[in-house]
Amino acid sequence: MRILLDKFTKKFDDTVVINDMDLEIKDGELMALLGPSGCGKSTTLFSICGIYQCSGGRILFGDRDVSNVSSQQRNVGVVFQNYALYPHMSIYENIAFPLMVKKMDAAQIKKEVHAIAKLVHIGDLLERRPSQLSGGQQQRVALCRALVRRPDVLLLDEPLANLDAKLRLEMRSEIRRIQQETGITAILVTHDQVEAMSMCDRIALMDEGKVLQVTTPNDMYHNPQTDFVASFLGNPPIAFLEGEVAGNQVLLNGSQLKVALPSSIRQPDNGTKVRLGVRPELVGTDRGNAVAGRISFIETQGRENLYDLTLDNGAVLRSIQAVRSDISMGQTANWNIDTERVLVFDTNGQRLL
Amino acid sequence: MRQRIGLLGLGFMAPAMIMVVVFFLIPVIMTAFFAFTNMGTATGVSGGEYLLTPKIIKQFEANQTLDEKVITALGSSSYIVNKTNLARAKEAGLKSKYLGEIDKKLHGKTFASRRQFERALKKLKSRPRNTRALIKSTAHFSNSVLNTRYETLGDFKTALSNNGAILAEPQLKIVTQASYTGWIWTTDNFTTMFSKPDTWFVAVNTLVYVVLVLAFNIFFGLFLSLTTFYLPTGQSVFFRAIWLLPRISPPVLYVLLWKWLTWDTGFISTVLGWFGMAPYNFMLGSVESAWTVVILINGFVGASLGMILFSSAIQAIPTSILYASEVDGANRWQQIRYIILPQLRWPILFTTSYTTLSLLTSFEYILLSTRGGPGGTTNVWALEAYFTALNNYSGNLQYGYGAAMALVLVTIGISVSLLYLRLFKFDDLVTRPRIES
Repeated sequence: MRILLDKFTKKFDDTVVINDMDLEIKDGELMALLGPSGCGKSTTLFSICGIYQCSGGRILFGDRDVSNVSSQQRNVGVVFQNYALYPHMSIYENIAFPLMVKKMDAAQIKKEVHAIAKLVHIGDLLERRPSQLSGGQQQRVALCRALVRRPDVLLLDEPLANLDAKLRLEMRSEIRRIQQETGITAILVTHDQVEAMSMCDRIALMDEGKVLQVTTPNDMYHNPQTDFVASFLGNPPIAFLEGEVAGNQVLLNGSQLKVALPSSIRQPDNGTKVRLGVRPELVGTDRGNAVAGRISFIETQGRENLYDLTLDNGAVLRSIQAVRSDISMGQTANWNIDTERVLVFDTNGQRLL
Repeated sequence: MRQRIGLLGLGFMAPAMIMVVVFFLIPVIMTAFFAFTNMGTATGVSGGEYLLTPKIIKQFEANQTLDEKVITALGSSSYIVNKTNLARAKEAGLKSKYLGEIDKKLHGKTFASRRQFERALKKLKSRPRNTRALIKSTAHFSNSVLNTRYETLGDFKTALSNNGAILAEPQLKIVTQASYTGWIWTTDNFTTMFSKPDTWFVAVNTLVYVVLVLAFNIFFGLFLSLTTFYLPTGQSVFFRAIWLLPRISPPVLYVLLWKWLTWDTGFISTVLGWFGMAPYNFMLGSVESAWTVVILINGFVGASLGMILFSSAIQAIPTSILYASEVDGANRWQQIRYIILPQLRWPILFTTSYTTLSLLTSFEYILLSTRGGPGGTTNVWALEAYFTALNNYSGNLQYGYGAAMALVLVTIGISVSLLYLRLFKFDDLVTRPRIES
């Protein structure tokens, strides 16, 4: 079901957390709300499920305005960060709870619970108590409980945050599989860009209560509209170089180093201050414009190494390259920057195109 | 190293151990000790004396425990002129001339009554002229054991044999026991207690009192904690503070307020008076109203404990679980029934067991309000024990009997606690120490 936030506003007393937010989640889509801590993504989620009341604007499920509908009546499924399983109930009772409070008859409940447990692969755990399950299993139970009542929308609040690295990888694909098999509209709240990029159809990147950009993961990585979006996506993160436009080149601040502007952008005036966003995979390539610097840090990542290249003005470029034995710490290097793919931002952080 | 840690542990435990010994073990042992005596105001708590009174003789006659001859002998007040009595008279300061004459003329004679002895004395020349002095002088020759205190058993026995009553060993035992004024070891307290119908009446009262006040405490405590949980913070704190007042106000003041509320000149009667109702004493007016007031007085005091424990237990439930139940579609009632109440199981069990035990022994609010009235209908076991042993209207405090009642209460209390410990598996609640020695 399509979910629409229309000029949605949320205040706590006098503190405005979300102001005039517009966001559309398409039917059957998995949308990520991505952003740093305190950006309002969880507040948005809790407002969609009705735990928080809207302070302004509308929330629509399909064509139904649910802004003033209580959470009991909204038909949403929520997976909480700590799973929030009922500790005194068995797994079966936990999953059956949403149906039980609807006073569905026992035989029907049994059928539904077993069907959903089978889908989520926890059919053999139904007799146990939450405390007897591992984190990943509890996560699956929470997912079952959220899905069993066939909600209009599935809301996931940092569902992977409490899992270890290996389980997180596993559950990432599991959640995606289950979402696609059920075809449910889902919203995933996360601060982890890898999670957002790997699981979701689209990402809404938020900061300080505003949506900065909504697009597919791939587009957001390659075409960020602001330097904040660019810095939030990508691991290792993007490096920024400050400088002034001089012809079709940028003269870096406090240095004689020059970096060519990409030919695709509209040429800014001479003397315009700009920030160049250079992703690690653009440094040390076989084309572009060479810059000299000193290797100040080497981080082993197995298949690849991450090198920090400190320029003479103190700016640091990151480079990710296949492991090389000819480079050591403190050595000087003269590496190419693939200038055609460098991202150019103005001093307000807006992308120059 | 292990030894030192062991001593350290004991050191930490020592204050608690001393407290337990001083405030629990010693009182319980003393209670058990008193329970098997007949101590009371009449006997005192130290030793006693031997005193044969006409009343005891009358009891012998009534019970026919001794044959008539012996009883007559015990009760007789014969007068004998012999060496011992003469010496006694001399010591008391009677004139030696008079005594010499008695010795010479009447030596070895026995008189069955004072009148006969007087008649004989009146014939003597050196007798006191004053009749009163004459009568007084006869006392020294009396061999009656009646109304005379003897400090030791030996003295008493000698006196008895001087009296001329010849008693066989079993008869002697009966007489000495009956005449002893101090306390003795006995199990009579218990036989009396269980045979008295009053005891069973008080026991049933106690049961009713404990069950009703307990139920009120738990349900009202739950009601308060749940309602205040759903109120905004400021209001809930305010209401909890109000319901805490009965607990923190001094019992005397608290009960005084109840009296002011319920008495026939009190608030309720005054208000009802405006509507034409006759003034009525709700505290002592009828058995039902007295019980209602007693249960409310104790119930409001106890409910605050439940309220605090339940409130904190509710607040310990993670918010996300409450949120989860809401988005799962549970309404308020379902949330309380299926999510909150199951998680209050332990606090409820704890409050139940704790309150049962404290109610069993509590009587102060009843003492201050109805004083067990009207007519003993709101009397409970602990109050009855208090009245028996420590605060009796007739002034005859029966320490031994009261202690026996208290001992029954202690026994029930310990049994109930052991039962609760097993039933609720309190061991499971106590985790093993995390720090290993």
